[in-house]
Parts: sequence; C-alpha cells; structure tokens
Amino acid sequence: MEINVLGISGSPHRHGNTETLLDRFLEGNQASGATIEKVILKTLQYSPCRGCNACHKDGVCIVNDDAIILYEKILASDCLAIASPIYTMGITAELKGFIDRQQYLWARKFILKTLYFSDEHIKRHKGIFISTAGLGWENVFDGAFPVITALFNTTGFEYYDNVIANDMDRYGGIKNHPTALKEAYDKGLKVVGILEKLKAS
Amino acid sequence: MPIKVLAFAGSPRRNGNSETLLDWVLASMSGDPEVVVEKVPLIEANINPCRGCNACEKLNRCVQRDGMDIYHDKIIEADCIILSSPIYCMGIASQPKALIDRAQVFRSRKYVLKLPIVSPERKGKRLGIFLATAGQNWSYVFDAAIPSVKCFFHVIDIKDSDISYLMINGVDEKGAIEFHPSARTDADMLGKSVIAELKKRLAL
Repeated sequence: MEINVLGISGSPHRHGNTETLLDRFLEGNQASGATIEKVILKTLQYSPCRGCNACHKDGVCIVNDDAIILYEKILASDCLAIASPIYTMGITAELKGFIDRQQYLWARKFILKTLYFSDEHIKRHKGIFISTAGLGWENVFDGAFPVITALFNTTGFEYYDNVIANDMDRYGGIKNHPTALKEAYDKGLKVVGILEKLKAS
Repeated sequence: MPIKVLAFAGSPRRNGNSETLLDWVLASMSGDPEVVVEKVPLIEANINPCRGCNACEKLNRCVQRDGMDIYHDKIIEADCIILSSPIYCMGIASQPKALIDRAQVFRSRKYVLKLPIVSPERKGKRLGIFLATAGQNWSYVFDAAIPSVKCFFHVIDIKDSDISYLMINGVDEKGAIEFHPSARTDADMLGKSVIAELKKRLAL
C-alpha cells in the first residue's frame, strides 16, 4: 500500500533552515517507499481568510484559489508535514493565512455536520510539525503548537510528532545542528512504516 | 503636544467584534481633547508579510516598499499603540501577524545595530494595548497569540508591564460583543485609565 506524504513549507525564505529540515524528513519518507510531494506556500496564489463566515451556511469558501486545491491535497494525504520557521514567537503570516482558510472545513465539521473523521481515520493519518527558530528559548514554539493542533484537528490528522530545532542563530544554521537533520530523516523513515502497517491491518 | 494614539484594527472583517471592542476603547480615549486618535484597518493598510531576508540587520530598514513605510514612522511617533485582532484557529489573524513580523526592522535596529527605537526622553512613556475577541469560549484561547504580541511591543520599546490586555472570548457572530455583560464597560475604563497613565508619565 503506497503512502502519500504531503510536505508544505510556509517559509518565505527558499531553502532555509526550515525547508532543509522538511527536505530531510521527506527524504526519509522516500527511502521508506512513500510518494512525496512538496508544496512551497509562497509560490501559490491565495488570500488569507476574510472572516466573512459565508462558509458557515454551505461549507464552501467564497474565495476559490490555490488554498482550496491545497486543502483537497491535504485531505487526500496519509501524512502531512507542515513546516514553518518561528517569526516573532509564532508561525509565519503566510502559513497562518493558509491555516485560517480551513474555516470551511471547520464549518462542515461543527456547523453543518457533513464532514466527520472516525478515530480509525485519524489514527491512519499522521501530522508532523517541522520548525526552526533563531532564538534558543525553550518556549519559542509554544505559540505555534495550538495553531498546528487546530490544523490537524480540522483536517483529520493525528498530531503525531514534531521535528523542531531552536537556537539557529547560535548554531549558524540547521547544517551545524548536532541532531536535527538526522532526527528529521529518521522520523520520516519511521512514520511511513507505521502508516503502512496501519493501512494493511 | 497632543497624546497620539495609533490603533491597528487587525480583523479582515470590518466592524466585527474585535473592531467594535477597539472602537469602544478609542471612543473613551477621544473624549479627551488632548488625545488624537488614528485607526488603521489592517486589511486596507497594504502591509505585506516579512520575507525573512534579514536585510534589515544591515540596512536598518526593510527592503519592501509598501504601507509599512508610513506605519514604521507612525509607530515611533505614537504615545500609545493599540493592536486588535480576532483569534482564528487558536492564533492571531494573519493580517496582524504580518504587521508583527514586519516589526523585525525594529528588532534588528535594537539588538543587531544597537540603535535606539525612540529618543531617550521618551523611553518608558509609551503604552501598549492588546485587544482580542474569540468565538470559542475556552479560557486558553488567547494563549498562543500573547507571546507574539509581547514581542511586537517589546521591539518597539513598550515594556511587558506597560501592555494592557482586554480579551473577550465566546463572541463569534458579528455584533455578538454588544451582548457581552462587561466588554463595553471594561473597554471604556481601559481607554480612560491608559490616557490617565500617559498624562502622568508625560507630565501633562
């Protein structure tokens, strides 16, 4: 059974620390036999959520752009790796703008009740948050976790794991980090095996 | 010199709950003849997200030419800076997050270039306010927004202890805040107390 992994990079900065970490995770996935796709948010055309709540009536977003296409891809994936650097103690505005667009799915789940993920479905769909931060503070990712949790909850993914590395400014980049790149690769390798077993059972 | 209040209305929805909360605070402040208020709806402010290029660490300015050219100067000139935002998906909306991330130029100025943000005589005489509304009723619904807000105020030389918060949960549909038992009174009191504190600090 083929496992599909979707990696989304929310960094405005191409091939920086966060995208490099995502790349290593996806390489691990590939080495495990998964099909991968990487999407760079900044190359897409989408606008942030307008907060109009029109989707509360029919579960459809009135803005039809690349964000909707990407949400369809997310719903068709077995594993979602969502990557963002930490800017000012949170995820980037680009990724936040995209995540806020999930409101139409939230409306389907909680208002219209036309979308439902069983516990079994959630167990078979793994979400991983990949992030780097310049600051060395231990709490530097705390503002990101609840938002990522909201994304995984709404799209039917179990919040399976994180690959996070702080203190990038001191290390001088992810390449000098002692463990993060290997951790990303290993976790990428492992999650595909777990998903394959779950799919076969 | 009038007291300058610069208020960013962060919601993409005009005249919704977080903007109404802001309007109540501003109405209470502008009752004072010495106060000049400017409200900026971020959805019309043309402020792009930060590109993460770090050029401001060398240039002391942003490489992007957009609305931030104007608001950079206004942020420095203001005595009180107010940011309002709805909570979307457990965090601040993306439009105010873009403004907050663009404050990177101040962070570079302060910590990399070691240059002042405001003149020495104005230090400790600026106050910040964060206003937020959330549809969910959870008590922790604002938790993820606050660290970013603190950073924003910190890099523009407003200390943690000089930030006031008014955050109202359980208001979702447009107009819901009108029916909140205390929001309006709290907003009115907050506006008055912040202006009183500013007058004290500015020795007006």
